[in-house]
Amino acid sequence: MRRRAFHLACFWACLGVVVSGLAQEGHPLTGTWTGDWGPTATQRDHLTFVMNWDGEKITGTINPGLDSIPIASVFVDVTNWTVRIEADTKDQSGKPLHIAAEGRVDDIGSYHRTITGTWRQGATNGDFKVTRD
Amino acid sequence: MKHTLDVLAVGLGILLAATPVAAQHSFSATYDFDRQVKLEGPVTRIDWVNPHAFFFINVRDAGGTITNWAVEFGNPFDLEKDGWKRNTLHIGDVVGVEGIPARGPARQAFAKSVVLKPGGKRLFAAPARRASTPAAAPAPRWPNGHVRLGPPPGKKGYWGAASVKALVENTAVKIPMNDDGLLLNIADADNVAPFKPWAKAVYEQRQRSLLKDDPFARCLPPGGPRQFHTPYGFQFVEQPELGRILVLLGGGDRNWRVIYTDGRPVGQAAELVLSYYGTSVGRWEGDTLVVESVGFNERFWMTNGGLPHTEALHLTERFSRPDFNTLKYEVTVDDPRTYTRPWSGGWAIKWVPDEEIQEYFCEDNAESTFIR
Repeated sequence: MRRRAFHLACFWACLGVVVSGLAQEGHPLTGTWTGDWGPTATQRDHLTFVMNWDGEKITGTINPGLDSIPIASVFVDVTNWTVRIEADTKDQSGKPLHIAAEGRVDDIGSYHRTITGTWRQGATNGDFKVTRD
Repeated sequence: MKHTLDVLAVGLGILLAATPVAAQHSFSATYDFDRQVKLEGPVTRIDWVNPHAFFFINVRDAGGTITNWAVEFGNPFDLEKDGWKRNTLHIGDVVGVEGIPARGPARQAFAKSVVLKPGGKRLFAAPARRASTPAAAPAPRWPNGHVRLGPPPGKKGYWGAASVKALVENTAVKIPMNDDGLLLNIADADNVAPFKPWAKAVYEQRQRSLLKDDPFARCLPPGGPRQFHTPYGFQFVEQPELGRILVLLGGGDRNWRVIYTDGRPVGQAAELVLSYYGTSVGRWEGDTLVVESVGFNERFWMTNGGLPHTEALHLTERFSRPDFNTLKYEVTVDDPRTYTRPWSGGWAIKWVPDEEIQEYFCEDNAESTFIR
């Protein structure tokens, strides 16, 4: 069992290396983005965006999985590559929670481009940074 | 010695003429045309490799400090055709170099001239090598009447330089650009293709950054129309008995593309493994080979100059051979995620008789072109 787990770990490690080396030269927002957000430098929550350009609009998901949050809207100003992302979810008590993030895409020529900006989740304000995988 | 000097002169003339064409990398992004550099010193190493030969010299500055410079000086096969040999230049020869320096701090230059020292005899650029003009003749044909896209039996040859440097829309006015597809006036971007706003922004960003992020410069394959723009041409290998045509590329990382002619359907992009050359299906319409391709990945730029595309890209290419020495290439680009409508462009390609494409591995320069 330990041997199998080791092989699996090696497989995923190798896959990670390979995937990180593949560029994506289409729409700059398409892809998987990973990072975090939080109100302070030490209070951080993991973030994963998955976004896709379908020719008309950008659709996507925040933190894909059992607790995923569908992205309601993405607005991009391509003149300066600023982006506004909005989504709606519920807090632990079941109350509606609105998410609004505003940021800027930097280094769009790189496949490890980033989005940094402000993140508001309900009444909590913070900042976020995600890097394209 | 005189023979050596003559050979150097001829070879340098060739490299001057061929410089932009021979650029696997983005020449615009690598070298700063607004500056000149003069170097002098002994040769310490010679990399006689594809796609670009380099030699290295130790240069002593006014303070006595010695630094090693990499000097790029053309493609070895082109140089050999014009008289250079591997041993034309020797380690230990002292040379003076005038050239174009690399951008940034890299100690690298592209040679415009080389002078062997001592003696100081200046080597001047010779006239550009004139390609022999092949005799006019009708296009060769297979026994079944189809036009041959390759040489007739018993002959050699391949398709060489394209008549334009980048894909632009047919209706566009003449757009000045350099051999890398870099616009001389960025305002001309509107005339290149019917971009969606994001695509125009990406194209302009690539142009403004002098194409420095070009995947082709990282030795990734030139998918789409760009494969017919690469230096050192391409060759069709028609295999009707196997229901396919191979396109062998002379440049890039020397790979190939398969066009199936066995009657299979084009397929749906969503069902295909996405690739650099997509999945191509061809059929003959009279003397024109019509090829439909889908299933492209997004990891390449489909033309010099950096036109973007998405996985929705669908290409319709038309190949015809109006005479022995001319291949007419037309392509319709249909990518509704990137462009507001389908659009077309094309160019002519000249036959290079009696020669074959040569070994050319982009990766061979990795050692020579590291940041110095």
